[in-house]
Amino acid sequence: MIALARLVVVGFVVMTIFYWLIRIYARSLRRERLEKRWEREGASGDRNAYVEAGMREYDASLRPKLILGVYIVPTAVIAVILYFINFHE
Amino acid sequence: MRYVKWTLFALVALFVVGFLHYTLPQRDVVRVVSTYLERQDLNDWTRIFWANPDDQSGTLTNRDIQFIQTVDTRGRPRVYRNEDTGWSWPPYFKFDTANLQTQAEDFRSTAQAPQWVAITHYGWRNELLSIFPNAVSIRPVEGPDVRLIPWLNIVILTIMGGMALLLWRMWAQFRERTIDPALADVGEAWDRVDQRADAARGRFSRWLDSWRSKKRP
Repeated sequence: MIALARLVVVGFVVMTIFYWLIRIYARSLRRERLEKRWEREGASGDRNAYVEAGMREYDASLRPKLILGVYIVPTAVIAVILYFINFHE
Repeated sequence: MRYVKWTLFALVALFVVGFLHYTLPQRDVVRVVSTYLERQDLNDWTRIFWANPDDQSGTLTNRDIQFIQTVDTRGRPRVYRNEDTGWSWPPYFKFDTANLQTQAEDFRSTAQAPQWVAITHYGWRNELLSIFPNAVSIRPVEGPDVRLIPWLNIVILTIMGGMALLLWRMWAQFRERTIDPALADVGEAWDRVDQRADAARGRFSRWLDSWRSKKRP
């Protein structure tokens, strides 16, 4: 059981690191895109307010929640490996 | 200096390729001859080439291990160990050693009436170190010259390449959005502090430039 506990703990830590890396990266990409769009649309109004409004809209959308797949996909892969190695002849 | 760099690079590449070659699954077309059980001493450094089927196995100095004896299509002997990998590395999550041994026993055949099987395994055979690849699964194939395409390895290596690309893009984005602006601030502050020390500033700015990402066209 120690090996299983180690897998769960290490797996959770690694997945959390990847979750935050991808989250920060995705937000940075979105912010850059908003800044460029603000310039393209004639650079009118407050740049900061435009970007922050866009980021609030992004946070409320489905896209940032998809990053939780970082936890779901490896867990599902382990379940599939377990099934095919041990219970599928 | 260049030789040191390339030697280090070659060593890292060798380690990575060796690690993948040891860990990723491979398939051999073989004919099962027999199976056996043998007590193995596991208290020297070659312990790393044996599995950890359960928690207490980590402290044992020897234990019984099952083996599958086979002959490949060119008549060369190939011997596999058959042990659980359990929840530990490498991540095959194999718990069905007893079932696999039974299947291997069931596929036993003679050279006159051969039953060819594909054995999926990981690991290396080395006679000097007395180490064996670990069989993971076994299934019958049509004949000795069946063509097996390693789809799983193609998928795994593609995903690993994609992850390396993602990490590289992340680093580039971090440098462009976080490090470069910070360095620009530092550079401006420095310029304000000492506008007359032209030579020194030129050198400092050039040093800062070496940290900046290259301007993309």
